[in-house]
Amino acid sequence: MSGVIVELADVRDQARVEDAADVVIIGTGAAGATAARVLTEAGLDVVMFEEGAHVRQEQLRSDMWSSFKHVWRDLGFQVASGRAFTPVLQGRCVGGTTTINGAIIHRMPEKIWARWRDEFGLGSALPYPELERIWDVLDRELFVGPAPEGVLGKNNSLMRTATERLGIAGNLIRRNVNGCEGSAHCNQGCPTGRRQSMNVSYVPRSVAAGARVYATCPARSLITRRGRAAGVVGQFRDPLTGARGPELVVHARRAVLLAASAIQTPLFLAKNRIGVGAGVLGKRLQAHPGTAVVGVFDAPVEMYRGATQGYESVHYWDERMKFETVAMPPELAMARLPGLGPELMRELAQYAHLAVWGVQVRAEAHGSVRAGLFGGTHIEYDMTDADIRVLKLGVRRLTEMMFAAGARQVLPGVHGLPHAISSVDELSPMFDAPDDPRLFHTIAAHLFGTALMGGSAFSSVVGPRFETHDLPGLFVIDSSVFPTNMGVNPQHSICALAWLAAERLV
Amino acid sequence: MSWWSFERRWLAVIWQTLLPSGTPGGLALGARDVPMDRFLDELLACAPRRVTLGARLCVWLLTFCPLFVIGRPRLFPALAEEERLAVLAKLGQSDVYLVRELPTLFKMLGALGFAGLPAVQAEMGLAVRDSSAPDWAGEPKP
Repeated sequence: MSGVIVELADVRDQARVEDAADVVIIGTGAAGATAARVLTEAGLDVVMFEEGAHVRQEQLRSDMWSSFKHVWRDLGFQVASGRAFTPVLQGRCVGGTTTINGAIIHRMPEKIWARWRDEFGLGSALPYPELERIWDVLDRELFVGPAPEGVLGKNNSLMRTATERLGIAGNLIRRNVNGCEGSAHCNQGCPTGRRQSMNVSYVPRSVAAGARVYATCPARSLITRRGRAAGVVGQFRDPLTGARGPELVVHARRAVLLAASAIQTPLFLAKNRIGVGAGVLGKRLQAHPGTAVVGVFDAPVEMYRGATQGYESVHYWDERMKFETVAMPPELAMARLPGLGPELMRELAQYAHLAVWGVQVRAEAHGSVRAGLFGGTHIEYDMTDADIRVLKLGVRRLTEMMFAAGARQVLPGVHGLPHAISSVDELSPMFDAPDDPRLFHTIAAHLFGTALMGGSAFSSVVGPRFETHDLPGLFVIDSSVFPTNMGVNPQHSICALAWLAAERLV
Repeated sequence: MSWWSFERRWLAVIWQTLLPSGTPGGLALGARDVPMDRFLDELLACAPRRVTLGARLCVWLLTFCPLFVIGRPRLFPALAEEERLAVLAKLGQSDVYLVRELPTLFKMLGALGFAGLPAVQAEMGLAVRDSSAPDWAGEPKP
């Protein structure tokens, strides 16, 4: 039996919508869609809630504003407060953040897993061989493989040149793309549907197996019966105008899975007074903050041709930094370029000659998430001084790499430095400056840890089998349960943990 | 939320200062040549309230700051172009984080409209994927 994707426009005239399923899942991103894939193909009846819209291929445009409007959370304006304002990147649509990420696939590093085993006691709950078995399946089903040479593009191949010349390790990024055309539009939503984000992979696959997806319908509250989670109540709502539609009530015969992300999951739990006792809900937010360095080359780079993110270096992973290429769209490049007025217009005319690479920090910092006083979300996140020192070193190394690849100038984007530099030595004042995040323009991606997994209800929100300590039948299966960040892109690990959680329900 | 017409004019001047037309060696198109006023309408219609309120506050701050920044007792739009640029440059170099983020904020908001237009992207050398302009830049609704 085939399922369906329902949106506000389909039910606007109804007073109330009601449904029932074996399992109700909140969220259609990496975790929710993967769980739906496992459960539906095991013969269970599944309903999914999604706050954002179901964006069709033909609705995707190449400009960032259109993408922000339809696919990104808060139109791209979600920020964390601290000493600096840090944009926090998330998708909000069917497929979640997998629709706007760079398609980078990594397995959880064994060192991270060992830390989870030794410090957090999760070894038997998350056996590494089980995760490897699941990653093998995910690799096959999501077409994971190294970025093809044919669509590498120069932004990526220049980083390869740099790593070779400097003698540091680098590699083609493993990506979940089937026949990438190299349009460099991953962050706007893949216009060719080649990236195997959840909206083109596990969501339609689950729908084909009978799942019903209620999009434009944020989950509002839980239904409980005899001390167990027994369903979810939501309300259809236009994501842009906020116009309300009918209430949706879905009864769950077996379980409710919460997979709304490390920002929305703790908010939902707090609103329903679940998991608040341990004092860790919404706390311990970890992330991978990062910044970008721009290189100016004599020959055209044309970063708008090729895989958005096709090359990386994990050479300095033990020093908590990872480098990756990123084809920056013109709108974001314009905001990042240092010039004003005529200088900015000359920089924009050089866009085809720019290469952009980023450093991503495995930060120690812990932030927090809570509901805002006037609605919305309040995120606090401040990199530690040690994190800033890692970032400074990362900027220096990226700059060395840019020059090694042949850059004429580098635009470091650091307050107090010249707009453009011609040698690495010109970065020296950065190391004399205080370790302050306000020196940089950073973004935070990859969010973890706001509904911790652990053995005790006194120090965690969910147990080792993903079930909340407070409410049987309610499971948290997204990166909220991760005890630490990982230093690599987390989609594959999120999928694998969700897969494991779903298998245990079958 | 609608803005007063003078606030819209102030913002237009800020964007035209940041993105001037006909720069030698730069882009020929500038903010004056594209429908940035319609992008403002789009922004006001869609962006979160805290963003539009913040932008409005920043327009006022920038408009009234020249006396304190370059010692000129004039509103920002009344300054000569070189003076306006000097104000923006000085703000951008401030040691106070919130102050130096002011020009970045206007650049970022302006970029979402200006640099998303196919005509501008073509001038930047991009292989433009969408030949038509975004909805907000199309003909105004009757």
